[in-house]
Amino acid sequence: MARLASGREATVLIDGNNFYASCEALLDPALIGRPLVVLSNNDGCIVSRSAEARALGIPMGQPYFQVQRQLERLGVIVRSSNYALYADMSQRLMSVLEEWVEELEIYSIDEAFGLLHRPGPASDGGGDLTDWGRRLRRDVQRRLGLPVAVGIAATKVQAKLANRLAKAAGRGMGQGAGEGVFDLGAVADADPWLEAVAIEDVWGIGRRLARWCRLRGIASARALRDMPSGELRRGCGVVGVRLQQELRGIACLPLERLPAAKRETCVSRSFSRPIATLAHLREAIATYTCRAAEKLRRQHQRAGALTVFVRSSPFNGTSFYANAATVTLPLASHDSAVLLAAALPLAERLFNPHKPLQKAGVLLQQLQPDTLLQHHLLVPQSAEQQRRRQALMAVVDGLNRRYGSGTVQWAACGLQRPWAMRRGRLSRAATTRLADLPLVHAG
Amino acid sequence: MAAGFPSPADDYVESRIDLNEALIRHPSSTFFLRVSGDSMRGAGILDGDLLVVDRAVEPRAGLVVVAVIEGAFTLKHLRRHRGRWRLEAAHPDYPPLELGDGDDSRIWGVAIHAIHSL
Repeated sequence: MARLASGREATVLIDGNNFYASCEALLDPALIGRPLVVLSNNDGCIVSRSAEARALGIPMGQPYFQVQRQLERLGVIVRSSNYALYADMSQRLMSVLEEWVEELEIYSIDEAFGLLHRPGPASDGGGDLTDWGRRLRRDVQRRLGLPVAVGIAATKVQAKLANRLAKAAGRGMGQGAGEGVFDLGAVADADPWLEAVAIEDVWGIGRRLARWCRLRGIASARALRDMPSGELRRGCGVVGVRLQQELRGIACLPLERLPAAKRETCVSRSFSRPIATLAHLREAIATYTCRAAEKLRRQHQRAGALTVFVRSSPFNGTSFYANAATVTLPLASHDSAVLLAAALPLAERLFNPHKPLQKAGVLLQQLQPDTLLQHHLLVPQSAEQQRRRQALMAVVDGLNRRYGSGTVQWAACGLQRPWAMRRGRLSRAATTRLADLPLVHAG
Repeated sequence: MAAGFPSPADDYVESRIDLNEALIRHPSSTFFLRVSGDSMRGAGILDGDLLVVDRAVEPRAGLVVVAVIEGAFTLKHLRRHRGRWRLEAAHPDYPPLELGDGDDSRIWGVAIHAIHSL
């Protein structure tokens, strides 16, 4: 029936299985084979589960405080997110994948799309890439100790779907799907596989579009592929039609080889406990602003506008409070002092003594390249002054990179920071700090 | 830009010796561990050494490997004994550990350098 392979090119999606939990177990062998969960920022929710934790039926995304007791009873090991470790393992993973795939688009910390050529004669749609996927999987396992899933198909949306099927194979979704590898272009009939994927699980569908489909009885990826395009266009516009084309094997979402220049940069965190004083909110906003400014300088950009946002906890009480304020800078800047002067008055405006805050953030907008020096009639700053400020920022960034972030900081950021993120169960920086290396016993 | 005469040494500029380059063949699969214990002294590995471990190196008989034993990283010699793989400690108090068919994953990586100060 519907053989999906179109032409000689194939798209692959490779991603890590339980990436955070797998990284933790790689550097701490006491965790191997044990149920393990990793918590999000501030020990908020479960964001990664080892296979053993999954088997115990512990749900993803659950707020930690709701399941803390249950986890203790079941003997589940709990870890805070160790971003230094995950970022390092991510870089290792991507550089190994680059050896396997010519064109790689890094899509997130643990997933990447790639472009492949199907081997074999073009006449029969090209060869089966399942074996190639198995070899890749073994290579990543051997060199990095991380399990990955490999989904291969004609387009990105299909590859995402194949990747889903590759993972489901290990969980008893039937034959055909090899363990951790699935080539949708190599199966004789793709229809039953597309049928098995619920409409909500199609990549990029969104909640609104999925609901629209459900109301019309479109329940699976296959049904979406086969419905009349005209109706889809009228109901969902070009987004729906593009998804459908991708499901039909016609690529509409090209591989993005270079990440697009960022148009916004955001730093936002939950507090360890609600903030109820202006002094603490000022410290937090100052800390996030300095961090955002640092990111901006690393991206070689300046910001033209800055937004501060705050909100109370959605979990306690009824009086939810959320607010934001924006200021446009007279002269685009990446200077921490300039951005602080813009952000702190906004924090004062947003603070409400009767509304304890759970989370705040700083959003830098209207980003532009920092290559051109700009001048403004009302904000006189000579080229020499600008150059000096830039040199100062470079020194600060250099010191913080070399001796650890926070070595040099603005006094407004505070020293005690009782509001700072809680990471009570953080593992060590096992691959990025000499003092934190795991021990190996010689006995 | 700087004007003036070019330095006669410019043509001979090379980058300074980089220990990373000398000690690490596969950066993405290389990890560092800290040695605890003195039983591998015979293999030149001392307590407190910085151990360079490369997971990309194929484990072979005679190599020193990092093995996962009872949930801990342990340094062992990998040997071949009567047609079977086994992990041997350098210390007589620890019996050798025979590796079965499904035990490949016990070998975490191959130790390629041990670095210590004199």
